[in-house]
Amino acid sequence: MVKLEDLRQEAAGILKSGKVKYIIGYTRGTNGFRPIPAFIKDPDDVENLIWNPACVHNLTKFIVDEKKRLKKEKNPDKRPIGIIVKGCDSRAINVLLQEKYINREDVYLLGVSCEKTGVLDEKKLNKKLKGRRALQVDFKDNGSWLVTTDSGQEKIQAEELLADRCIECKANFPVVYDIVFGDKSLRKTDRPFQSVENMENLSQKERWEFWKEQLDKCIRCYACRSACPMCYCDECVVDTISFAVEPDTPAEEKAQKIKWIEKSPNLSENIIYHLTRAMHLAGRCIDCGECERVCPLDIPIRFLNKKMEKEAKTLFDYEVGFDPGKPSLVSSFKDEDPEDFIR
Amino acid sequence: MDDTNVYIPKLAKIINIKEEVGGARPIKTFRTQFLTETKFAHDCGQCAMLSVFGKGECMISISSSPLVQDYLQFSILKTGRVTTALHDTQEGDIIGIRGPYGNGFPVDAWKGKNLIFIGGGIGLAPIWSVLQTALGRKKDYGNLMLIYGARTSKDIVFKEELEELRKEMTVHLSVDVEEEGWKEFVGFVPQNVTDKKPSQKNAIAITCGPPIMIKFVIQALGDLGFKDEQIYTTVENKMKCGIGICGRCNIGMHYVCKDGPVYSWAELKELPQEY
Amino acid sequence: MEKILTKKSFPEWAEKLKAYKIYAPILDDGTWSYEVINKAGDIDLDFPNTVQAPKKIINPQREVFLEFGRSDEDTPEIKEVLPEEKPVVIFGVRPCDAKALTLTDMVFDGDSKDVYYLKRRNQTVIIGLSCNTPPSPNCFCTSVDGSPHSEEGFDILLTDLGDRYFVRSLTKKGDTLIDLGKALFTAPKANDKKELTKIHTDAEKKLKREIKDVAKIPPKLKEMFESPLWDDESMSCLRCGICTYLCPTCHCFDISDEVTSVSPFKGYRIRTWDNCQFPDFTMHSSGHNPRPDKASRLRQRIMHKYQYFVERYDHYQCTGCGRCVSKCPVGIDIIEVLNKVRDYG
Repeated sequence: MVKLEDLRQEAAGILKSGKVKYIIGYTRGTNGFRPIPAFIKDPDDVENLIWNPACVHNLTKFIVDEKKRLKKEKNPDKRPIGIIVKGCDSRAINVLLQEKYINREDVYLLGVSCEKTGVLDEKKLNKKLKGRRALQVDFKDNGSWLVTTDSGQEKIQAEELLADRCIECKANFPVVYDIVFGDKSLRKTDRPFQSVENMENLSQKERWEFWKEQLDKCIRCYACRSACPMCYCDECVVDTISFAVEPDTPAEEKAQKIKWIEKSPNLSENIIYHLTRAMHLAGRCIDCGECERVCPLDIPIRFLNKKMEKEAKTLFDYEVGFDPGKPSLVSSFKDEDPEDFIR
Repeated sequence: MDDTNVYIPKLAKIINIKEEVGGARPIKTFRTQFLTETKFAHDCGQCAMLSVFGKGECMISISSSPLVQDYLQFSILKTGRVTTALHDTQEGDIIGIRGPYGNGFPVDAWKGKNLIFIGGGIGLAPIWSVLQTALGRKKDYGNLMLIYGARTSKDIVFKEELEELRKEMTVHLSVDVEEEGWKEFVGFVPQNVTDKKPSQKNAIAITCGPPIMIKFVIQALGDLGFKDEQIYTTVENKMKCGIGICGRCNIGMHYVCKDGPVYSWAELKELPQEY
Repeated sequence: MEKILTKKSFPEWAEKLKAYKIYAPILDDGTWSYEVINKAGDIDLDFPNTVQAPKKIINPQREVFLEFGRSDEDTPEIKEVLPEEKPVVIFGVRPCDAKALTLTDMVFDGDSKDVYYLKRRNQTVIIGLSCNTPPSPNCFCTSVDGSPHSEEGFDILLTDLGDRYFVRSLTKKGDTLIDLGKALFTAPKANDKKELTKIHTDAEKKLKREIKDVAKIPPKLKEMFESPLWDDESMSCLRCGICTYLCPTCHCFDISDEVTSVSPFKGYRIRTWDNCQFPDFTMHSSGHNPRPDKASRLRQRIMHKYQYFVERYDHYQCTGCGRCVSKCPVGIDIIEVLNKVRDYG
């Protein structure tokens, strides 16, 4: 059991002692039962911290934001940031460590275990409720959750509402932490790439029709990119200007930045954007599912990244985010790597 | 072409290109002539959107005076995609121009007053049009003075024109650091202002240049007794439509492309400091 | 004019509008959106509200301004490209979205006329559906001079009376459409009007969220430019841009050139939606950015909607549709922010 009181106590302790600058966690929001990220600076405010299976956000994105903010400050406060991480989130921290984007001393990790469940997928909940709106969700019973709507209460099996990525999860217990809350009771999964395999079983024509329809909806809001902790490049392939510009950057350099992808939200540009992003995340994506969750048009982009994850495993026996000391997938090779594409 | 479509530029030929400043931050002056008969009456301080088809558009202040009917003059610093494309053009090439946009300097309200022009670097270009207009109507204005400086003597724009100007009005030049052969003031433009002590009596100061220079020039003028309503400047911001609807160039409620770019310091300091 | 149309006759009326391109809300894989309808029977007005506002039909995300190319003599040639000449009908627009169109009209039909927007706007007939219950738990139209049965921006407004619609035509364009199905409409009876009034009055009370004393907010905002409130509120912002792209009143855009062929040289100058929450929105070529951080961009969004627009056009640039509240991935709630602004200090 993750004891919320222990979590709050630890949070208050490290804030009081000044060990951390502030703590990133979850708190109650104003839009129904959905929690929102919280930034706690005052030890008295730790009472606002909550923890339940609706705490779906990957808070490591804010670590990336903090690093970018510090770069601009003259005398930055170099103390670590306390952050609450689930299993998947802790793997994101490992990738940031692996890529040397942050140092281990920059973060103080309060790990929480998902304890055989996972997080609530709101889209599944909405489909199940068929138009009725969920006002509140009670997670006390691990096996079935009590949902309150306008028309009463209903008990729904947790398995039906769990996010797909939780059902396929490899790490529902944090893989790196400074202190951890909850038991290490691991969920077993025998088909870690189930959702991708279902897709792979479709014919090529069927898959192309599926992606044409889905990616045509894209409005290029870049929410998927903004929500992803691994998308931290200052010079992204999709931007027409580079953010890594100084006053003395030569004009030619700025003029020569290639417009790889046009601004128009056409199918052709959308496909290139999403596929390029999936390729750039190969061997880096830890399947936090944020990209799919934030998409306002419900495009199932997680499939693309999951497919790359499967490729990494089958071709190179590479698993993301478990070992910060391991070299990254695309910057290393082994003699045993497959060569059947070389004729 | 539908004349009421504000987004369609008119084609113009580049009839003359002069290299003002070379090196890492080059500046070129372009003179353009419309291909077909076009009514383009502009006020001093107004800007136009120049198009290089395939690259984009950029908003450049018109540095020729409205008294000049044969051409439009723009002095452009090479800094990004469109300005690099403009610098790569040759005489005879065709570009697009739409405008004029913005509010212009209130030159009629300034009749009878002494005008002090203070510029730095490429900042001389926006005030060049009002300077030329004042010279063209000399009897309408009092004493004219120009205080202008650049990093080095190589970065000074309108070099030949400035020499001609000395015959008609007071011209004080400066460079930032000591230079062999430089006989005039050495120091930053605000320091030159303090040195030359222009009188605030019945005077209007018009200043344009890097934001940091403008800040200290306004301070120096304040020390000399200039009131906020007597100091004018132009603001720049990233612009796309030029007509105040794409929502990008706003400072508070004002759109710089439409309500500006000319502001008196009295007006500008009331706006949110977000530029 | 006021009429009654039974729900049974509704598809027959829609059939008569074949000369128009018809948009209506469609449910596709759990998401409602306005799509082109080919069969009158497909129009389903039993929907909450769409994810994307109908602004995308009148102010599309990509609009071609002109086509450029090079002639044989190597002179650039440009040709204006206007929107397709085709009358359009949009069914099922909610009052908040229609009021939003009157707000964007002030911008695109102001001192300068935007030919592309106006052409689409003038050839579109907007048929609305008043809200008997709030479509979203985050609706707050009554707080910003709106109402669940507001007629602003509509050509025709329908109110659902159960088995029939109460039809109010508000413009000549609306009259024309009703005339096309003349025989299907009947005159309203006294109890129809009674029921209409009751539904409208009840609807106003059903909204779950509100901003109290909203008139205090514009003057308060004016003095809060340097306030640390913006830093605190924007900490969790992902600058994803969802709030702005889904907002029915937001209209900021970018103009760019798209080269489709190098030899022969050809391309388009296009307008695309742009977003003040994106970091490069105001970034100068030199790298200088007047709004370099999330706090200044959130401040711009709130101040533009509740102070700058009020000062310029005397209206709030927000119609209380609640989409930004419902869809923000990190739960930044404009109603909460505004409440804090009002009570600050």
